[in-house]
Amino acid sequence: MKRRELLAGALGAGVLIVNKSSLTLAQTPAAGGDVKMMLLPKFLGIAVFDQANAGAQEAAAELGSVGPDFVGPTAENSVAGQIEFVTNAPAGGYQVVMLSNNSGDQIVPAVEAAQEAGTLVVTWDSPIPDGTGESVFVAQVDFTETGVVMADMALSILGEEGGQFAILSASPDAANQNAWIAAMENALKDEKYANLELVETVYGDDQSEKSYEQAQALIDKNPDMKLIMAPTSVGIVSAAKAVQDEGLGDEIKVSGLGDPSEMLEYTLNGIAPEFALWSFIDLGYLTYYVSYLLATGEITAEAGQTFTAGRLGDYEITKDPTRPDVEALRVLLGPFSIYNIDNVQAASDAIKAAASS
Amino acid sequence: MARELLRRLRSWEGLLLLCLLVVLAYNISRVPNFLTMGNQINLFQLGIEKAIVILAMTFVIISGEIDLSVASMMGLSAAVTAAAFESGVPLPIAILLALSVGVGFGLINGYFVAVVGLSSLAVTLAGYIGFRGLARLLVQDRSVGDFPDWFTDLGQRGLIGPITLSIVIYVVLAIFAIIVLHFSGLGRLTYVIGNSAPVARYSGVSVVRTRMIIFMMSGLVASLAGILMAARLGAVRASTAEGFELDIITVVLLGGVSIFGGVGSMVGVLLATYLVLNLRNGLVIAGVTGNTQTGIIGLLLILSVLLPNLAERVRERLHRRQADAVVRNQETPPGDTPWVTEPG
Repeated sequence: MKRRELLAGALGAGVLIVNKSSLTLAQTPAAGGDVKMMLLPKFLGIAVFDQANAGAQEAAAELGSVGPDFVGPTAENSVAGQIEFVTNAPAGGYQVVMLSNNSGDQIVPAVEAAQEAGTLVVTWDSPIPDGTGESVFVAQVDFTETGVVMADMALSILGEEGGQFAILSASPDAANQNAWIAAMENALKDEKYANLELVETVYGDDQSEKSYEQAQALIDKNPDMKLIMAPTSVGIVSAAKAVQDEGLGDEIKVSGLGDPSEMLEYTLNGIAPEFALWSFIDLGYLTYYVSYLLATGEITAEAGQTFTAGRLGDYEITKDPTRPDVEALRVLLGPFSIYNIDNVQAASDAIKAAASS
Repeated sequence: MARELLRRLRSWEGLLLLCLLVVLAYNISRVPNFLTMGNQINLFQLGIEKAIVILAMTFVIISGEIDLSVASMMGLSAAVTAAAFESGVPLPIAILLALSVGVGFGLINGYFVAVVGLSSLAVTLAGYIGFRGLARLLVQDRSVGDFPDWFTDLGQRGLIGPITLSIVIYVVLAIFAIIVLHFSGLGRLTYVIGNSAPVARYSGVSVVRTRMIIFMMSGLVASLAGILMAARLGAVRASTAEGFELDIITVVLLGGVSIFGGVGSMVGVLLATYLVLNLRNGLVIAGVTGNTQTGIIGLLLILSVLLPNLAERVRERLHRRQADAVVRNQETPPGDTPWVTEPG
């Protein structure tokens, strides 16, 4: 008898405590009012996604709306977890899901069902490859340009004589990384990169330990490799750490896409002389603006629509030129920032200040 | 039989029902269309592979064993399906191949446990590592997809109205599991072996055969679930279903099945399954993140394993104290205790 009551009480209390923070139910969108949104990254625990959330919350405050719910699956359960969040979003009263897609085209049925039930899906950071069910993709940078930027960084680090390099990516389902790698391989066909030899592409699933192990395996397997190119903010840190731990900082360099606040020490000590990124704070900020204006009906998801996104200025929705084979729309955030020993300290300080504010 | 059923309903199953009602009431009050067909189907569909494997795991645990290899088997069977299909084998054949891999490795698990007599914890831990390793060899670091439409449609779209194939399979298997566990010879043997394998052996029960069947079923059901998961997600990775074994075992224990075997009912397990699915659905709809969800499921495991055992300890201690008191009472008043026979 006692046991029964105790357990029932404990479970009941657990449920109540957990759900206490839950939210108001669906409202019809109204300009200037609250719009209930979900910010769904690939998974939680990644610094750059936290920065995107900071930007989205900033935009919500400016627009006088409740901040989005920043939720995500665990890293191991990313694909099934994202599908679960999107599937349940209409029932949860969400008007927009802002999705950084880590589930390839596997998320399409869930996204289509959500759109049918009246929940918009705006992708950011990583799109739905075939564009189905996605209202608009808010792209951080032009995906074709990403390939050229990575090839240029490889060339500037390895110099004219070139050499072998390998790619350490995120997960094999990550649409953005896959597109960037394809763009880089395409860029490498140019004569000026003739001495750069891509020996292998491996996947660390955006998990630190796995990326670290993959980087070490690359180092052990390829004695002539001079560079690891990691187009992921998790992979690049793990690769730099692996190179540093092996004491090979003079022979092997690391480059790719990284967060200046996480890469600071490796750029200062010369392991990662040059890497690139965009502002994830601005990406979250712009994504929120696009989503909010779509939800309130101030803009519609079609090419040619223009709008002003607060402090970032004017933007236009266009056909996505990097996915020419499918019907997809894009808003482009802006250019790359290239970081090196001259500017990494200042960029790192700025990010830390913004994240703590 | 009827009294026994009533007693059980008053105990653990009653408690589960109460928890379920609390969670249901909460979800209904928060989510306007919670009880709609669509949401209920979503709720099952999103955890359907685990729910299916839970049915087989109930038999394994009631028989006093454990199968840690189920999630790896799910991954392996998905990987076999994908790799075979990719290399040009027609998909139906690839599926049959994956199912026979499930049966085969289930029998191997059963052989080492039942015939060789190794601990199922050790044997299936080897399977947990080995099957996952094979899956990694088969699909490497890739995501294998591009299955024909009929396959992904079966996994994602309704078969009977909005009800998917996986849910139909689950309902059929659940009814089958209730009948076998509670109304068949195999079910009775499962309980007898779980209560005491040596006693079962001396009383002429075929312990070896029963265990072999249970582990084979576990492998077969896990491989079926792996194929269904591949169809639902539309792509296979070596990490498919990774970590599911703990969720599966959690629900079986939460359903009132004793980790030491011999005790539990399919009704309790089905209630626990629905309770956990509802809890997850409520958490996701309320915007609770993946890590917190995992934490809460972990808390459930702790409660469902610890509480029954703690309660048992407390009851034993109380009994002993009462027994002591009886002994003391006997000593003080000389003679006059009609209900105790004094040793002559």
